Amino acid sequence: MDENVIRVENLVKYFDGRCVLDGINLKVPQGCIYGLLGRNAAGKTTIIRILLGLEPPTRGQTFLLGAESTNLSAKVHGQIGYVAEGHNLIQNYKVGRLVKLCKALSPQWNDEFFNHLTETFRLPMDRKVRELSIGMRAKLNLSLAMATEPEVLILDDPTLGLDTVARRQFLELAIDVIQKQGRTILFSSHILGDVERIADRIGIIAAGKLVVDCGLEELKERVKKLRLIFPESAPANLHLKEIINQQNEGREMVITVVNWNQQKQALVDVFKPSSCTEIPMSLEDIFIECTKPNPESIACS
Amino acid sequence: MFTLIKREIEDHIAYFIGAAILSGILIVLSILAIHVHEDSEPIAFVGLLIPAIIVLIIGLPAMGVSQMYTDKNRRISAFLCGLPVTRGQILAAKIITGILAILTFLVPLTITAVVLLRLFAPLAPIYSGYSGLIFDIFIATFLMSFACYCLGLQTGWTSSKITPTLGGVALAFVLVPLILVKGFGLHIAVLLVLFIIASLVRTWHRFMSTSL
Repeated sequence: MDENVIRVENLVKYFDGRCVLDGINLKVPQGCIYGLLGRNAAGKTTIIRILLGLEPPTRGQTFLLGAESTNLSAKVHGQIGYVAEGHNLIQNYKVGRLVKLCKALSPQWNDEFFNHLTETFRLPMDRKVRELSIGMRAKLNLSLAMATEPEVLILDDPTLGLDTVARRQFLELAIDVIQKQGRTILFSSHILGDVERIADRIGIIAAGKLVVDCGLEELKERVKKLRLIFPESAPANLHLKEIINQQNEGREMVITVVNWNQQKQALVDVFKPSSCTEIPMSLEDIFIECTKPNPESIACS
Repeated sequence: MFTLIKREIEDHIAYFIGAAILSGILIVLSILAIHVHEDSEPIAFVGLLIPAIIVLIIGLPAMGVSQMYTDKNRRISAFLCGLPVTRGQILAAKIITGILAILTFLVPLTITAVVLLRLFAPLAPIYSGYSGLIFDIFIATFLMSFACYCLGLQTGWTSSKITPTLGGVALAFVLVPLILVKGFGLHIAVLLVLFIIASLVRTWHRFMSTSL
């Protein structure tokens, strides 16, 4: 089997004439925890739905565990755990009945693990799904996805609606799954702290394109925010490539630059700044910079 | 697959109960018709069959519509596709459930007809002829019912638009008089089979290719 558990090739998707995904290429190797980020309506859920065969692509192909998404067999479906955005469950079923259905359909159902999860999350088996709060539905959905012992876990904003304690419990569970050898997770979330905590590779979608696709550490290494103080007023332009943000105020200039290196340092030194200090950037800071207009300039391999 | 069929039956149990009740009513009417036949005209009982046929014409497409519409509305297939299940299996389970509902209606009726014929027309020379007639009636009624059901499946997946729904019901009302015009036999069977194939292919294509 291909070592890339998830493969997306030149994916294009139009909704009512509007381009949502514009030539996305993405590979997620086995055992990787991939954090897929983007603003609202950036196309994260669409990529996930196309991967799972729930949505047809306009152009391009996607593969899950070596099988084309439009033609996934029941066996491949059985190796995937999926938590949908908004926790798409059968609303008119009682929790117990839903669990029974999932158990009957999943050959690799781990009863012991599921019971552990229901106790941890205190899931009520005798209530209807529609009567549960969003948080409880999220917990139920997570438990059902994890109890199938999946090779690939696809989580579309899974912590949406969870309180801080439940979110922490979920992250611990995710780490538990990760520790089981060979498990792959594709994880989309708006809570960047969660992604930063567990992801080892990041993809950022902006304007229909995957503008960032690299390791988390590599991303932090590549995108730098620098504060430059000049003896007199700051120059209007440093003539540097790959500057994604620049703010001037008197003698001070703050720039965010991609692929900071010795050559760029030398170019800055031409303007003789009296000091050049790096401002630490969190993933959230990088995300905000990456999702600004004109994101092409910050794409990294 | 068995789990999927079981789920469909449990979710649409009302249609199975309805089919059993309708079948029961028709069995009682048949027995009464034979008993009263010697004293009066059986035509009055035949007249009572008309509401039953109307219930059948409306009920079967309604079951198909209900299966597909509730699935689409509640995104049941989207949830099931997150489990070791394919779209093809989901649709196949729905169709098998529809067939089972039709058989719930038809099988008791057919058994009753055979028993009544054995009791009231046991003469050997004409027995095989009756048996053939019952087979023809069973096949034609089954195909007609299945065609109405397939129409419902097709209509149910085309969202909540009222025009295709009304069109589907109107078409179902056209299907039944076809039997009256053509009679029971091979011609009507071929016609209905072609209609069923066309309807199922269309439903299959739409179900397999649209977003869930």
